[in-house]
Amino acid sequence: MGIIGMRPLARNLARFRDLGIGGIVLAVAIAFGAVNPVFFRPENLFAILLSVGIIVVLAVGQMLVIISRQIDLSIGSTLGVAAMVTAMVGRDLPDIPTILLAAVSVGVGALLGAVNGFLVVGAKIPPIIATLGTLAIYRGLVFIVSNNTQVNPSEIPSGVTALARVSPIGVPPIVLIGVGVVLAAWYFTRKTMTGLRLYAVGSNPEAAIARGLSPLKFQFWVFVVMGALAGLGGLLYIARYSTVNPADVGAGFELQVISAVVIGGTNIFGGSGSVAGVLMGVFLVGILANGLTVIGVSGFWQSAASGAIIIIAVVIDTLVRRQMSNGKKKEKSRPNE
Amino acid sequence: MNSSQASAWTSIGRLLGPFLPAVVVFFLAMLWGTLSSPYFLDIPVLLLHSGRYMEIGLLALAMTLVIIHGDIDLSVASNLAFSAATLGLVYQSGAPIAVAGVVAIIVGTVLGLINGLLVTVIGLPSLVVTLGTLALYRGLAQIALGDQAVTGYPEGFVGADQNLVIGVIPLPLTIFIVMAMLVGFLVHRTSFGFVSLMLGRNQVATMFSGMQPKMNRLIAFALSGTMAGFAAVLITARLGSTRSNLALGFELLVVTIVVLGGTDIFGGKGTIAGTVLALFAVIAVREALAIQNVNGQIQDAVIGLILVLTIAVPVAVSRLLGRVKASRRKALLDFEKGRSQ
Repeated sequence: MGIIGMRPLARNLARFRDLGIGGIVLAVAIAFGAVNPVFFRPENLFAILLSVGIIVVLAVGQMLVIISRQIDLSIGSTLGVAAMVTAMVGRDLPDIPTILLAAVSVGVGALLGAVNGFLVVGAKIPPIIATLGTLAIYRGLVFIVSNNTQVNPSEIPSGVTALARVSPIGVPPIVLIGVGVVLAAWYFTRKTMTGLRLYAVGSNPEAAIARGLSPLKFQFWVFVVMGALAGLGGLLYIARYSTVNPADVGAGFELQVISAVVIGGTNIFGGSGSVAGVLMGVFLVGILANGLTVIGVSGFWQSAASGAIIIIAVVIDTLVRRQMSNGKKKEKSRPNE
Repeated sequence: MNSSQASAWTSIGRLLGPFLPAVVVFFLAMLWGTLSSPYFLDIPVLLLHSGRYMEIGLLALAMTLVIIHGDIDLSVASNLAFSAATLGLVYQSGAPIAVAGVVAIIVGTVLGLINGLLVTVIGLPSLVVTLGTLALYRGLAQIALGDQAVTGYPEGFVGADQNLVIGVIPLPLTIFIVMAMLVGFLVHRTSFGFVSLMLGRNQVATMFSGMQPKMNRLIAFALSGTMAGFAAVLITARLGSTRSNLALGFELLVVTIVVLGGTDIFGGKGTIAGTVLALFAVIAVREALAIQNVNGQIQDAVIGLILVLTIAVPVAVSRLLGRVKASRRKALLDFEKGRSQ
């Protein structure tokens, strides 16, 4: 067997990895259900789906950003600005169609994402620093636009809150939107040339330039897409929570999302990551948060548990990766037959 | 201007270069604060207020060393919270406050070591590891304390931060200055620091030079933990109570200060003096905003804006200068061409 035989091996291992996380998700879910059967009640599964639906929209965007060798720490604040602006528009114009509110939300997010992209590509600020700055700046913006007043549930148009309720099709639209974003991202990363090029730019920018690609262009647009998705997340946030409070809207989302993306096997140094893995990571984060509450573990354990899970996941991931590359080396050193 | 004068100017420029943003921000903030309120420029009051920033300052000193290696430690604030929680619990169990303080510093160091071991031995990226321990250590503090606060610390300990050394300088500032000198010595005057800076520039080359990069990075993380332990003691003395939400979000401020001080986020470049200057710049900005009752979120946003501008403005300026130079060169070339024809 020569070099050619290697590819399927590596691919199988990668797929095995996604399946592995899937297995952990299932095991964790069954464990929660065994301790307290309430976990498997439809209402509870419904609640899990709602929170997963919001996080997955952000996580898919963050995965694209990380594949391009960058990171966006400002997504929680971006979501906050988009949600606040959208909620205020909805409050002041109660008869506005939901689709227009969605456009406002996505538009505001994309604009803030473009600012991030400009800071990174135009002003040459390292992504982690630029988005650390805009994390604080956008949070201040939430405060300024809202004049520090919250938007109450009674002021949210009913068309928006309906997104979190069961629709005639049987599932809430938030879940459908989540599924749509996941499918679109899967198609983009697996079936389009641009998606393939994004991986190329992330795994080796110099080689990508030599092949005639422009990493800067990808780096900019990936931030715009991330912003637009965070904006969409803002609309879903309004639908789910009905209250938009300037002090905490979207705060801390960046941590949850980056955890999910990393647990999902996305390489923090860029160039690799799969939508299926990220989906599993989001489910693990969502199930863990919900399940700990359901089995009656005090809320004080939440943060420690999610921290421990992140570390365990990356340790396992790194060891598997190392095993994989060792396997490759052995394969290579074997003489061709 | 003759050439020796010119070279003197460029060497001053080179010396000041990395410090320039911090110095400019400091003076602008002081000027603005003085112009906007007659009560601002009250040196004893400013010195006294500086106490509450010294915990952040201690964290920033160690963070400078961590970032010089090309690593990052996002868990510092959570480490501080857990160290403070152990201080509280150990004191509550009847131990003298001095013992509790030492335990807190040891616990902080151990948590730092755990970060360092995960990064160096298993080879995980520090960003991911410390993102995980950011949640883990904060969570451990929450488990340890719940929603309770530990209070009832002894008289001499609470308010110790109000003590003045040689009659003028508050105790926290004194501790910070001593620590800054120690860490500064370590980074800039020892072979350890030299290896650290080399590592940040080129890890592979450093390894081939027979250095032990892992040990350096491990020590940097441990030191980061030690500083979190020290900061935990300071913050407890200042507040007189311990809660699990202590120092929430400090990590962003700490990284901001280090970068504002001219340390390269990718490693290999950075000075302790820069970090010290940046700390004072941030104090000046915060105090100038606070005296006009500006809301905390807006204060954070201003610091974020300064962080972004610190890097963007020099890039814009050098690009502008480059364009001017290029157009001059082009004009000169055109002139030469015209003469040769």
